[in-house]
Amino acid sequence: MNKNIFKKLFRTVLTAVGVTLIAFLILHFTPGDPARIMLGPYASEENLAAVRAKFNLDEPLYIQYISWVTNIAKGDLGTSIRYNRPVTELIGDRIGISLLLNLSGLLISLIIGIFLGIIAALKKNSWLDYFSTTQAMFWLSIPSFWLAIVLLYIFGLKLRWVPIAGMYGFSSFILPALCLGLQQEAWFARPMRSEMLEVLNQQYIRTAKAKGIKNFMVIGKHALRNALIPIITMLALRLPWIIGGSVVIEVVFAWGGLGSLLVNSVLARDYPVVQAILLIISIAVVIANLLADLVYTLIDPRIRLEG
Amino acid sequence: MDINLNYEEFKTDMDNSLKGTRKKGRSQIQLVWARFKRNKLAVIGLSIVILVILIAIFAPIISPYDPYMTSPIRKLEAPSSEHLLGTDALGRDVLTRLFYGSRIALQIGVLIVLFEGFIGIGLGILSGYFGGWIDNIIMGLVDIFHSFPVIILAMAIAGIMGQGIYNVVIALGVVGWTTYARMVRSKILTIKEADYVEAALAIGESTFSIIVRYIIPNALSTAIIMVCIMMPTALIASATLSFLGLGVQPPTPSWGSMIAAGRDYILQAPWISTSAGIFIMVTVLGFNFIGDGLRDALDPATKRN
Repeated sequence: MNKNIFKKLFRTVLTAVGVTLIAFLILHFTPGDPARIMLGPYASEENLAAVRAKFNLDEPLYIQYISWVTNIAKGDLGTSIRYNRPVTELIGDRIGISLLLNLSGLLISLIIGIFLGIIAALKKNSWLDYFSTTQAMFWLSIPSFWLAIVLLYIFGLKLRWVPIAGMYGFSSFILPALCLGLQQEAWFARPMRSEMLEVLNQQYIRTAKAKGIKNFMVIGKHALRNALIPIITMLALRLPWIIGGSVVIEVVFAWGGLGSLLVNSVLARDYPVVQAILLIISIAVVIANLLADLVYTLIDPRIRLEG
Repeated sequence: MDINLNYEEFKTDMDNSLKGTRKKGRSQIQLVWARFKRNKLAVIGLSIVILVILIAIFAPIISPYDPYMTSPIRKLEAPSSEHLLGTDALGRDVLTRLFYGSRIALQIGVLIVLFEGFIGIGLGILSGYFGGWIDNIIMGLVDIFHSFPVIILAMAIAGIMGQGIYNVVIALGVVGWTTYARMVRSKILTIKEADYVEAALAIGESTFSIIVRYIIPNALSTAIIMVCIMMPTALIASATLSFLGLGVQPPTPSWGSMIAAGRDYILQAPWISTSAGIFIMVTVLGFNFIGDGLRDALDPATKRN
């Protein structure tokens, strides 16, 4: 088992190195002068030279990469061209907001998903079951930005229940979180249904029923507990989206999170910020994947043995 | 009786292959089609997709107006008998632009799926067939690319390359190939164990010939389902890029940028964003139904209990 974990750690480290390479090389993806890409086609020669000097763009690529990574290791993610502030500050201001939004979205999706999954399993092959499976596909077919606009139109502009943009406390929080929740709920509804169906067929459920325990108790105490275990794994698999999942939603709702910072930086060609956000989000994914792997191994001993 | 039927099929199969015509009794594709047809949602999905394809092909004929013709006096008109879905901020007919938008959407979607499929299936075959260090390197690459949420890396690449249809295709293709590579690789791993491959190895066929004659034809069905499953992602992702201003640029009529443009007039003219969104949703839903139907049809064992 230890050998396996070691192997996984090794792979994770390699992946993390690869991720830094991609985030670094992104600026060199097209042939052409990175300084010109950053400053746009109308930049003056002096400004171009200044940017080249600042980012060591005249050095060979591998030296640029090494100095970039060394700086990151020291906690220096560079300086934003647009805001002229350290990227770490910019990101630090916003990462909490994105995290909070995504976590609430995940919580909502978990509640809806588990609820619909249980109902679908209990009323197997009824219209409720059919509805619960089909509605999941419906949400997945809607572009998130459009769902956001429609919800804003209905609840913000027409009914005036919530503010239409920006962050003003809890009420402005409901719609973006709901958008995220509705679109992710499919991740939990289907597995929950099939797990519940499997558990309901087990001997101990029949025994519990035979003992005369009330149906509600049987489901709540015996069935649900056991069916929830695989859902924890599903939850772990969703962890990677915990920072980067709300990019588009943040733009529509004018939320000052990491996502809208990323979009604005891409549009403004503020590449130090873009590279840093790419790096942070992808490293978070790498770590979350490792965690998901470990959780999976802890929960299901068979995987540990088979390796 | 069943056995006899199978024997008959087997006999005709044998006869045909002896004659060299190689016609199969009931191929896997026919079986899958028979199961697919029974799935109502899948058939609905197929009809939707065919309808969208027809709209895309015949857009110039069925559209009531010119998609680029502006008319300042008729801007932001509500839906009427003249303009079924109203007009946009420049007085252009929304329905016409939506029809032409289906061309852009399908074109981009197909190109993305082909492009990422080409990379992904190719690397998946190499990885699965050769194994060893080739497999390690390719799967390492998959792990790395998989660590970036699709839309985020695609945004960055599209931002660097600049806007335009082909840049959207490249940005999303470079990011999206990993799913193909994984699926195709695992399929190859099972094909590799098959008797006919071992037999081919035993009689000394070359690696190239084994891949071309046995591996690729057998992995093809997996690849085809992958295409149907990946299409929704490609459509939504490209619409998202256009919405964010990183994809297809106005005045080209794309559904994503129409939603973005309509958003500024959502109070006066909600029909612009709404109808464009419905077009995307229905199209994507169609592909999703097909994908789901195909999955069930190809693998009846995993069909929901």
